[in-house]
Amino acid sequence: MTTTRIAIASALAAALLAPMAAQAQGSMEKCYGVVKAGKNDCQTATSSCAGTSKKDAQADAWISVPKGACEKIVGGKLTAS
Amino acid sequence: MPLALRELQAAFAVHVVGGERADLAGAVMGDSMSADARLRIYRHHVAYSLGSALAATFGTVHVLVGEAFLRRLVQSFIGQGLPVQPVLTEYGADFPAFVAGYEPAASLPYLADIARLDWALNVAFHSPAGRRLAAADLAAIAPERLPSLSLAVPEGATLIGSRYPLDRIWNASQPGAPADTVDLGQGRADLLVLRRSGDAAFIVLAVGEAAFVAALIDGKSLEGAAEQASHADPSFDLSTAFARLLSLEAFAALQQGAEGEG
Repeated sequence: MTTTRIAIASALAAALLAPMAAQAQGSMEKCYGVVKAGKNDCQTATSSCAGTSKKDAQADAWISVPKGACEKIVGGKLTAS
Repeated sequence: MPLALRELQAAFAVHVVGGERADLAGAVMGDSMSADARLRIYRHHVAYSLGSALAATFGTVHVLVGEAFLRRLVQSFIGQGLPVQPVLTEYGADFPAFVAGYEPAASLPYLADIARLDWALNVAFHSPAGRRLAAADLAAIAPERLPSLSLAVPEGATLIGSRYPLDRIWNASQPGAPADTVDLGQGRADLLVLRRSGDAAFIVLAVGEAAFVAALIDGKSLEGAAEQASHADPSFDLSTAFARLLSLEAFAALQQGAEGEG
């Protein structure tokens, strides 16, 4: 084994011994949880019925301006790279 | 003049995605409603159901652009192609690419990457919960054989690299998020999206960690991945990074025989 390889083997082996609690802190975003699970059936009878009462989407006014949380995201046009 | 079944179906398919087929109304019988009005119900039904499915799958995009803009966006997307399979949660794989080319959203250059994140979360959420690799599984392997080991990310996991701070944008889009702004100048983000029990989640990776995971996904050994990570970030700390990824269950359990070579 080369010196590099020995160093890599040691580093990997050391990782197996690291205390678990110290590693996991604040390092993962929970994203859906119960909310998403409850949405799994959202495309069933309810929205089918709702669909019949919607006006023709083709007749909607042209909407060219996003109006949502994107107002909080700034500096977009300045980052070229 | 009645249409042949195949022509009727083709005309109907054009109609439901918003196209005009004047010959279709003549082939459909009216009753208390005119044929036109009845056909429009089907068009609305398709648009509304698929639009709602996309709005649910691309929840962060939805919040970022608002309801009215999203409806228009998904309508344009649906016009390009109906689902090719019956599972609505599997509809929308092409949506991020569509968003990237969607002219009205050009002022939001990060939106396509957010759509990729939403899609990755959706895929992870609907993936099977396979067993994950734990430190204890590797403790049984001789240390000198660890460098030649190849590891896989869990089924349904996706590594997403973006020049924009996707994690901050995602956080700012959550219900109850503070009104603080996110500056796109805060730079790139590398996220590993994976399934957790009953949830989907993402891990924010440092540059070296992202290179490490990307190399493993490419099939490199731990040694090759470590070298690639050090190249991407000279201060990459293999031991800390590997311990962190193991504790976050970022790897699938070893396949039988995978630890055989050395």
